[in-house]
Amino acid sequence: MKPKIAAEIVNALKESGVDFVATLTEANLHELVMLLAEDPAIQQVPVTREEEGIGICAGAYLGGKHPAMVMMNAGFLVSANGLATVCLHPGIPVLLIIGHNGGVGEENPGHATVGMLTEPLLQGMNIMYEKVGRLEEIRPAILDSQTLARSSRRPVAIVLNKEALR
Amino acid sequence: MKRFDCLKAIAPHFKEELVVTNIGGVRHEWYSLRPHPGNYHLQNLGLASSVGLGLALALPHRKVIVFDGDGSLLLNLGSLATIANQHPKNLIHIVFDNECYESSRGAPTATAGMTDLAAMAKGAGFSHVASVSDAQQFETAFLEALKRNNLSFILAKVDPGIAKVPPATFDSQENKYMFVRYIEKTENVRILVSPPSRGSTS
Repeated sequence: MKPKIAAEIVNALKESGVDFVATLTEANLHELVMLLAEDPAIQQVPVTREEEGIGICAGAYLGGKHPAMVMMNAGFLVSANGLATVCLHPGIPVLLIIGHNGGVGEENPGHATVGMLTEPLLQGMNIMYEKVGRLEEIRPAILDSQTLARSSRRPVAIVLNKEALR
Repeated sequence: MKRFDCLKAIAPHFKEELVVTNIGGVRHEWYSLRPHPGNYHLQNLGLASSVGLGLALALPHRKVIVFDGDGSLLLNLGSLATIANQHPKNLIHIVFDNECYESSRGAPTATAGMTDLAAMAKGAGFSHVASVSDAQQFETAFLEALKRNNLSFILAKVDPGIAKVPPATFDSQENKYMFVRYIEKTENVRILVSPPSRGSTS
């Protein structure tokens, strides 16, 4: 991820009120995760498994925080049960920032299946999402997605495509 | 020892502490002993320790107690490493280890074999770890943890079995609203807000 994109995401998260993030890094997310780790305005918790981060974000919400989870789409697949039982079932909002490996522009054949399954899983779980890539799309998508997450009391996802990740 | 006897021993010591319970019998047992809006009863196996961590980090001045189980923690072992590294002083992680999947008709878990969850907590980086097997020891370990004001892990080896208590009557949605309204009131924060009416002039 280009530093400019990472900075735009962090600034938009802060503007949207996000003050707590759980993260699981990946090569494409490195700049974003390191920037979040340095930012004193956002409490960052690096996790060992993405579903764990969903639980941590839900607990933080119950304590009054505005949480987001930063992960790749493989981690979103790992998180499905946690999202269903801990967020969707009681009605707890967590903003999901999901890097989309295996989408258009993907060169690594290993990512194709997870890439193909990402949007159908979001749709199957009735999680609303915005796909973004260009710098100017990022801020409005994050602000509007966080507004919906808080008002609907449900997770809402930002899916970052290759243009944002590379 | 029975889990219910452990819970009975510590229930009188609770004031405004926040509690996260694992799915299963512990939810109903605890609610029968301490019905309180500061109880959050998860309908999920595995994430009790993580929800407790998030809550403890969000409210560092409130004590958070997690009632976890062996089957649950085995599903989320990485949370031990995350919790130990975050090291919230206000979190007490209690695992009732009955060495079986009690709510799933009792097949053995890994702790019926070679696995020691207290040793795993120590290895993950918890500095205060107790392992107890009678209710008196459990109460002592809990009171020490409460007084310590530092991250604590208590492994309570218990017999399988759920006490005959009336089931908690509310669902996850009602529990969330009760808990969140309680936090809003006691912390003077707004969590569930609605936008002003479009007709509003202010």
